[in-house]
Amino acid sequence: MNNVLEIRDLATHFFTRDGVVRAVDGVSFDLASGETLGIVGESGCGKSVTALSILRLISPETGRIVSGSIRFDGRELTTLSDEEMRSIRGHQISMIFQEPMTSLNPVLTVGTQIAENIVRHRNLSWSAALDRAHEMLDLVKISDSRRRLDEYPHQLSGGMRQRVMIAIALSCNPRVLIADEPTTALDVTIQAQILGLMLELKEKLGTAIIMITHDLGVIAETTQRVVVMYAGHKVEEAPVEELFARAMHPYTRGLLRAIPRTDADAELAGRRRRLQEIPGIVPALTRPITGCPFAPRCAFVAARCRAERPPLEEPEAGHTVACWEMRRVLEAAA
Amino acid sequence: MTAIADDAVPALRLARFGEAIRRNPTILIGAVLLAGLVTIAVFAPWISGDPFRLSPVNRLRPPSERWWFGTDRFGRDVFALTIHGARVSLIVGLSVALISSAIGLAIGLVCGYFRWVDAVVMRVMDGLMAIPSILLAIALITLTRPGLGIVIVAIIIPEVPRVSRVVRSVALSIRSQPYIESAVAGGTRSGKLLVRHILPNTVAPLIVQGTYVCASAMLIEAGLSFLGAGVPPEIPSWGNIIAQGRTFFQIAPWSILIPGAFLAITVLAVNMLGDGLRDRLDPRLARRM
Amino acid sequence: MSERFSLEVTDLVKHFSVGGGLLRRPRMVRAVDGVSFAIGRGETLGLVGESGCGKSTVSRVVLKLLEPTSGRILLGGVDVTPFRPGAMWPHRRRIQIVFQDPYSSLNPRLSAGAIVGEPLENFGIAAGKEKDERVARLFERVGLHAEDTRKYPHEFSGGQRQRLGIAKALSVNPDVIVADEPVSALDVSVRAQVLNLLIDLQDEYRLSYLFISHDLAVMRHVSHRIAVMYLGRIVEFTDKRTLFSQPLHPYTEALLSAAPVPDPAKKKSRRVVLQGEVPSALQPPSGCHFHPRCPYALPACRSTDPPLIEVAPGHHVACLRRPPGGDPAPLTPSQ
Repeated sequence: MNNVLEIRDLATHFFTRDGVVRAVDGVSFDLASGETLGIVGESGCGKSVTALSILRLISPETGRIVSGSIRFDGRELTTLSDEEMRSIRGHQISMIFQEPMTSLNPVLTVGTQIAENIVRHRNLSWSAALDRAHEMLDLVKISDSRRRLDEYPHQLSGGMRQRVMIAIALSCNPRVLIADEPTTALDVTIQAQILGLMLELKEKLGTAIIMITHDLGVIAETTQRVVVMYAGHKVEEAPVEELFARAMHPYTRGLLRAIPRTDADAELAGRRRRLQEIPGIVPALTRPITGCPFAPRCAFVAARCRAERPPLEEPEAGHTVACWEMRRVLEAAA
Repeated sequence: MTAIADDAVPALRLARFGEAIRRNPTILIGAVLLAGLVTIAVFAPWISGDPFRLSPVNRLRPPSERWWFGTDRFGRDVFALTIHGARVSLIVGLSVALISSAIGLAIGLVCGYFRWVDAVVMRVMDGLMAIPSILLAIALITLTRPGLGIVIVAIIIPEVPRVSRVVRSVALSIRSQPYIESAVAGGTRSGKLLVRHILPNTVAPLIVQGTYVCASAMLIEAGLSFLGAGVPPEIPSWGNIIAQGRTFFQIAPWSILIPGAFLAITVLAVNMLGDGLRDRLDPRLARRM
Repeated sequence: MSERFSLEVTDLVKHFSVGGGLLRRPRMVRAVDGVSFAIGRGETLGLVGESGCGKSTVSRVVLKLLEPTSGRILLGGVDVTPFRPGAMWPHRRRIQIVFQDPYSSLNPRLSAGAIVGEPLENFGIAAGKEKDERVARLFERVGLHAEDTRKYPHEFSGGQRQRLGIAKALSVNPDVIVADEPVSALDVSVRAQVLNLLIDLQDEYRLSYLFISHDLAVMRHVSHRIAVMYLGRIVEFTDKRTLFSQPLHPYTEALLSAAPVPDPAKKKSRRVVLQGEVPSALQPPSGCHFHPRCPYALPACRSTDPPLIEVAPGHHVACLRRPPGGDPAPLTPSQ
């Protein structure tokens, strides 16, 4: 299977008044053509920064990619010029964000914004671009699409704005779509619509998707493979069924046990069952972390964990974990 | 957080101070200039001679070793006049700033919090703001006697609405914050709410606004004095001095230029201080730096 | 307190007028349109719904942070509905609130100890040293260090700030705590900590919770009974177990279907994906508010407004197709 994206040892640091923030500190993964990859983690784990790094959208006043390689279809992105990067963004790799209201230009009509992207990357006249914009609105299932072309973002609901974002992102048929928490700000019934739409479009257009979220439910429903990030590092990667059935990293296991479920039996003998907690908080990223970043909160922590960072190993095909105490974790689960 | 050794703290503080200065040159320059001027003004009688000593035989002398800034048409030492004039300007500037800030704070807080008060009082404020201080001063002076106090009152009246607007907008924006709701739910009553929760957030913009009021007041006072509607001519004020130097401007420009320069520098210093403080204290601007 | 219910709300209505000007007549938003419920001691009532359903407005009105347009609010048996702020003040001890956003619900300029201790001062419960001691004990009860009372909110993490909010609410020993999306803004690994804390506190102090959330999974863990709201009204109201095993209202069913389940083995073919948008409260649809999006709507649903009736013991539904004693099996889509 050919990889449309190959990321190796990506490190992106931010230079702030309080020191260097190592937002992403050595992350590697691949994205196969037409695949949906999930990146899951909590706030501060570096998942959004990873996405922004791929598209080189890190603001140079605040931070930069300090090392690593990002290959798109074999082409190295970190060394491209600004001009070359611009021709890739919105064209071959697109991105949609969490807050559609602030990602859309409030003073341009919806049709203009979609057409703009098309004209920038394809040699089409404005009227041809507008026609294509109309097609895109139909593709994302916005009703009354002809009228919507002339409407402004504030006239649309949150769900519709997100559909417009998707329309813009897919207007030039990109190979990769990066979705950064695309449904977090939406109501749950609208979220279901949008996620369903994204999967449908993926089938139709063959786009590979990187789905970034903190919501394990969204991961379970939409992705094929998952990368789990913690404090700027990748701690586990596996096919989605494998991850939920046999997670190996203590953090992943902790997350899975900590989430309340609508389907699970939440009661034991009539009393409410307590959720499994992960004690402590995420570490500050301003100081270099010695050893495993999860060590301070880990139930399986050993001396080695605090001293040396565990490397990524592949105990089972397609399933990588970075944990010294892997064996003990598996035994405890059995 | 790693513990910091106790004896390292003073050094750290100094380093942080030094860094703060490097980052905010405007505050530093403004503050230094202003401090210099205040010192000069306070020690005026000791630094210079008697500003009122007439010496017609020495009139309209250019700046020299004896008279650093020359003499005016009455033979008075322009240096002495200017230094004493600084006192008037600074007194007017500071007292207008302090008093109008105090009044504006009270009005702004109440208007920002109590909607029904707001509707009425702000209209009155709008009306007051429309009155130019110079006209107001002239009117007040014709009603009473000219004097420093009258000038200060006349300048305060149109400045209060400006300050109260700033405070009010802060109060309005904070009022809708969840922590205000939280305080109300926790039993905090209006008075305590205003003083404990809203007021502290108004201090920073108030200080900044205060510096602008100070600069504005100094300019207005100079203008009034220039027109003869400000401080009486017996009290040296930069405006007075400039007015008196007007007739002989072509042969003795120093009696206008020098007090004028002082006025300009003082106002600049105060504005720089205000700008620097605003940049430093405004959380949104500060974050971008 | 000898009353049966710590909080009882009857036919609560809250309308807002929007957009009036000198020459324009304001329009009416029916944010809350006739809501009734009662919470007993040690019980959690969950109020669930999506944006615009009115659940947050209910929380503010119940606390008298907003005045109700009509209806009745009984706090520990006392009718507080007509009370102006002055008369309401002594009763505020009985009902407290925990907010959604841990960042804007704490005054950044006050120390954590000052924030938590303020209600104690306000009601004259404790002052000076005794207040400090109580605050320290509150800190420990919610899982924070007593030494941290001097710290400022920005020195705490999101989860810790929520604990501060809970400590503050707890300080006056209330009967009722309104929790408005208390964990929605927190990281997943921290949510569990805060939810467990809330449950423990409820068991220990026999607190009543009005728990507001859009997240059904969280609701399931914390609530005893759940009311589903849509556009200002309660459309279904029953105990937790029944709601999740036998939802009767089409909207409840859609909500349950829509929530993504963290288990790829159960990846759906969802039964219901709701079409259309959440309607605006300015122009609610006629008849049953839900009918434009309802896959089971009948022509009658467009004209008749279904009342909330008890169709089975302890199970209330507002749906024309769910009559009392009817078949609880899933409905079939109408043509």
